[in-house]
Amino acid sequence: MDNKKMYSGWFLVPALTIFTLFFIVPMVVSLFFSMTVWNFTDFKFVGLDNFKMFFTEKSLNISIKNTLIYAVLTCGLKVVLGILIAVFLTSAIKTKNILRSIVFFPNLVSTIAVGITFSALMHPSKGLFNKVLENIGVPAIDWLGNIQIALFSVVGTDVWKGVGVATVIYIAGIQSIDKTFYEAASIDGANSWKQFLNITLPLCRPAMNSVIILAFIGGMRTFDLIWAMTGGGPGFATDVVASIVYKQYAAGFYGLSTAGNVVMFILIAVFAFPLQRYLLSKEVN
Amino acid sequence: MKLNKLLASVLVIILAAGGAVGCSSKSDAADPSAETSSAAEAAPAASNEEAADKKTEPKETTLSLLIDGDVSRAGFDAVAALAKEKLGITVEVEIRPGGADGDNVVKTRLASGDMADLCAYNSGSLLAALNPSEYFIDISKEDWASRLDDTFVSAVAINGATYGIPMASAQAGAILYSKSMYKELGLTVPKTWDEFIANCDAIKAAGKTAILGTFADSWTAQVLYLGDHYNVAAKDPNFAKDFEAGKTKYASSEAGLNSWKRLAATSAYYNKDSLATTYDDGCDIMANGEAGHWAMLTQSLSNIYELYGDKVNDIGVFGIPGDDPNNQGLTVWMPTAIYGNKNSDKTEDILRFMEFYISDEALNAYAGAVLPDGPYCVKGYELPDTAYDAVKNDMQAYFDAGKTVTALEFQTPVKGPNCPAISQECAAGLTSAEEAAAAYDADCLKQAVQLGLDWK
Repeated sequence: MDNKKMYSGWFLVPALTIFTLFFIVPMVVSLFFSMTVWNFTDFKFVGLDNFKMFFTEKSLNISIKNTLIYAVLTCGLKVVLGILIAVFLTSAIKTKNILRSIVFFPNLVSTIAVGITFSALMHPSKGLFNKVLENIGVPAIDWLGNIQIALFSVVGTDVWKGVGVATVIYIAGIQSIDKTFYEAASIDGANSWKQFLNITLPLCRPAMNSVIILAFIGGMRTFDLIWAMTGGGPGFATDVVASIVYKQYAAGFYGLSTAGNVVMFILIAVFAFPLQRYLLSKEVN
Repeated sequence: MKLNKLLASVLVIILAAGGAVGCSSKSDAADPSAETSSAAEAAPAASNEEAADKKTEPKETTLSLLIDGDVSRAGFDAVAALAKEKLGITVEVEIRPGGADGDNVVKTRLASGDMADLCAYNSGSLLAALNPSEYFIDISKEDWASRLDDTFVSAVAINGATYGIPMASAQAGAILYSKSMYKELGLTVPKTWDEFIANCDAIKAAGKTAILGTFADSWTAQVLYLGDHYNVAAKDPNFAKDFEAGKTKYASSEAGLNSWKRLAATSAYYNKDSLATTYDDGCDIMANGEAGHWAMLTQSLSNIYELYGDKVNDIGVFGIPGDDPNNQGLTVWMPTAIYGNKNSDKTEDILRFMEFYISDEALNAYAGAVLPDGPYCVKGYELPDTAYDAVKNDMQAYFDAGKTVTALEFQTPVKGPNCPAISQECAAGLTSAEEAAAAYDADCLKQAVQLGLDWK
């Protein structure tokens, strides 16, 4: 009996080695270094000072608020817009293959390229968006220069780029629903809104859960789009935890930077794990 | 559904772990363009061996140089061409980004042992943050190092070791102004801050951009504040020392807070799209006389000269005005320095190149290609007569009168890395002078902690 257990246990070794070496060890090491002030030659243990600084200084802790706003908004918009587009694209329209490609296309472009393109489009005086607004008589908007709007401009760009993935997952979910449900429902006299509410929505729940989790975690750790569009500016208005971590590293504050990574890990863990548990408990079997 | 759960759990674990681990690896990867060096270095190593046979000939070799793409390279290229002819040293230039991205590339490549043979990087506080004794060649024992100007040496020396040679001329952080616009509106060069603001009002009233903001490159936002250091030092000569010791702060000292007040006062005069205007745009705008003032480093004169030639002489320079009309001075920046990679296998060639770079012959070649933005940091080498008007007439007067002081970052290693963002907020009118000063003090505290200074 024991031999059998040992035998199957050996199969775990390769995976466990890799996981320990590349995930567990760096995690423990970074937890330690987040409590030090270090450079590449030596370190000084400072306890929780780095975390204290991270949570008390405005230029650092604004990133936590921004990260949450960013994650919730991008996730919510992708979930809602994604399912609407997916339902539309699974209905009986002739050009659906082309339309599906078009919806997915932004996702194939490099994030940095998207960021640079949109910051050009959002240029306050020369950008296409404001030129269009000007022509229809709406006053120009300072998309990336106004601290009240900048974060939402980036959120909008992120949704434009990422909604394609959500749509594709939804389409897969919707297509796997048995057609007989719809037949039965229409015989019972359910209109398409009722069919959507009572058949499509509950039965593509697994797809929706994947979208929520993917979009939320993706939003929590976003960096490239923010960096390409605003660099965290104006001031610190669009700084998220990842960009703050990057900046602290650039400044040579390695301890603070490591602490930021730990904060980000904890943030994701604290929000993502309960969220996932909750979503799975709601799934219809 | 079980498979779904399993799949979802695995996804969550991978993503979450990636969030923590992936981010640090992201900064390690830093910049794909920085990867090109290994291939470039492999080739010359082979040719090195062949050349070793004929000892009488100067060794043919190739050195790589990592440099910020925003820095004007015309002068450097001229010297490099001469070095190829005289020393047999070919310099291969690798471009890196400036700002925080550039810091990341430099720090990552130093830490991973992947630095080019020569590294062009700031002197002063930013150098101190690189831990240079670990990576760069100490040149203080070389004979030719005595040619270096003492002020410059103090900006590249740490604990008695000297690391760099000046890549370009010294420069100033000052106000560039459009002479033609001044003439058109009948303005005179201001001697005090109030006169400066009056000039701005006049330009603004004429419907033109009074002060040019190029805050899309956020480092440009800090020049006005940093360049005001002459006025800070005039009021409180011990400011730099006390600041490093943690005894005085910007928010609590009158002289220091004044700098931030001046920056905040300019917020009414910037171009509307200042947050989307880049440094490169700024050079175009100033060369074409489309803005009245630009608080900028005078290195931009060379950028403008390269693009527009003689139009550069339409630009004048004055030091950031203070309160005393009889004591207007200039805050001087030590130039970017070139450092030799201690861990390169070509240290001798690096030293040969560095010695050559500050020889009169090389400086002549440099000055032949691009004019200086200020005095050279080599003893006994004079400014050529052909210098830009702004340098020859406007700036030289400050040097002659002894009314110059180096920027704070060359006097103390404490410089807050968020200075650009804090200045950007303050100049854009998003924060008050007091808030910006307090934020900058808090930012400097982080640097003090990293440097092991005992700040309260």
